[in-house]
Amino acid sequence: MKLVSKKSEVEIPTASMADIAFLLIIFFMVTTVFSATKGLDFKLPKDEDEQLDTETVEAAYIKVHPGGAVEVDRQPMALDQILPYLQPKLERWPDKPIILYTLPEASYGDMIAVYDTLKQGPQQIGMEVTNIGIPTHREIAQYTEIFGYNPFD
Amino acid sequence: MAIHKSKDVKAYIPTASMADIAFLLIIFFMVTTVFQVDKTPVNLPGSWMRPTEIPRKAAFVVLAELTSGAGGKELVYKFSDGVDTSHVVPDTDALYFEVINITGLNPLHPFVIKIDKDVKYSKVDEILDAMRRAGAQDLILMTEQKTVPG
Repeated sequence: MKLVSKKSEVEIPTASMADIAFLLIIFFMVTTVFSATKGLDFKLPKDEDEQLDTETVEAAYIKVHPGGAVEVDRQPMALDQILPYLQPKLERWPDKPIILYTLPEASYGDMIAVYDTLKQGPQQIGMEVTNIGIPTHREIAQYTEIFGYNPFD
Repeated sequence: MAIHKSKDVKAYIPTASMADIAFLLIIFFMVTTVFQVDKTPVNLPGSWMRPTEIPRKAAFVVLAELTSGAGGKELVYKFSDGVDTSHVVPDTDALYFEVINITGLNPLHPFVIKIDKDVKYSKVDEILDAMRRAGAQDLILMTEQKTVPG
């Protein structure tokens, strides 16, 4: 008797491929976060001693008190008055340094409220406030040593 | 002339393109997925500005006021290099060493500053000073965007 051997066809089993694909889709859908974290740009200067040459006399000076009260060039001012006050100064000197000094007892939120106001320059007065300096306690100590008093207070 | 009986067409759902669609979706989600490296609950300060999007692999510096076991509040410093999830660091000195490890390789590496809005500015000042000493330059102050109600 002649035996006829049946040839089985070669194939890649793909029955479970759809299951695996959809499992991966569900995993990535659940774990995906679409850049929910955003914030304000802030540049720190390089840690060099020549920073002390800043012309403090020409700078506009903003002091933030605890509770959010603000003084600009030693005049009490509301947040929405800061940019109109700075506008003529910035028109004369677009790179005018703005010193943002926050008292240690004030909150971070108080400081950000003023920083955010300054960053709204292009929308509010059509000019960008580019040169914002935020002195740290170490810089204040250095200035105090030079001048013999705290020039920011 | 005899009219041929019309053949019944079998109803079926075409699934030939399902695998293509599935793999397209997989590739899309693989490319867009960002794993959050810090999930500390922080009461962020508000901002009217259209905020800058945080780049991938940005390192995180976190200062949060968390409720302690006794019901009081304690300040917690955390750090993430942007790859691993954030971990607690004891103080700003430890933070300085964490930052300098990154700025030593790339001084322009972006850092996200995620701080509770009610934290005293003196603590923020210590962080900014430590980061400046460590050579960090590119910071993003994380905020919550304010919108006009209605």
